[in-house]
Amino acid sequence: MTTTISNRIGYLPRSTRRLLVAAALLCYPVAVAVLVGLKHTSLSRWLILAAFLVLVLATAVLVTVGYVYARGRIEGRCARLDERDLALRQQAYALSHRFLAVILIAATAAIAIYLTNGNTLRIDANSFLPAVMWIVVYIPAMPALMLAWIETDQPADV
Amino acid sequence: MSEDRRVHNRLAVLRAERRLSRKQVADKLGINYQTVGYIERGDYNPSLELALSIAEFFRLPVEAIFSLRPMARLSAEVFGELPADGH
Repeated sequence: MTTTISNRIGYLPRSTRRLLVAAALLCYPVAVAVLVGLKHTSLSRWLILAAFLVLVLATAVLVTVGYVYARGRIEGRCARLDERDLALRQQAYALSHRFLAVILIAATAAIAIYLTNGNTLRIDANSFLPAVMWIVVYIPAMPALMLAWIETDQPADV
Repeated sequence: MSEDRRVHNRLAVLRAERRLSRKQVADKLGINYQTVGYIERGDYNPSLELALSIAEFFRLPVEAIFSLRPMARLSAEVFGELPADGH
């Protein structure tokens, strides 16, 4: 059963993979936004918590799919990495570095603009923990997700 | 030179001619069988070392397998193409 699922993930077409990667990258920020945005509304707290947990669970599942797709090609656990695998791994690392740099620069710029407008920023557990969680979840997963993003469709078996 | 310049190849034709599967070729060359497919499809340009290994495996000069220009049909190259009216 596990092998069947893992094989199916290995043969996912590029368009589906890209959709899953985009969803994996969006689910956690959306989950945090749901929690923060709906906290002060009249909506039931249980409903908000349920929505948050569903999105966090979706993030975990999608990131796992990314890891399964990469199948040891990122960490080099795979028994035989040929020159194409190594080139692709390098490309995935470079792309994840670029992606993280863009996120970091955008976040820093947004905070800088916010602060220069006379606002103050209070860092407490409510703002710090989601950021830490984002780093914990995405930084290790990013190369596998980027590999799933850049890999072309597998040639048909002949 | 453009990074994504395509290298054309006759790998699929040679493999079919010798009735070899991708896996058989890949095992001999020490690469993954999908890589053979990616090279055949033109999605991956092999390194010089791999291109030379492929040429050695098929016992052909490397330029008979890889080219920067689209390759002519093998039959036309061997026998020469007849004029369109067949004479």
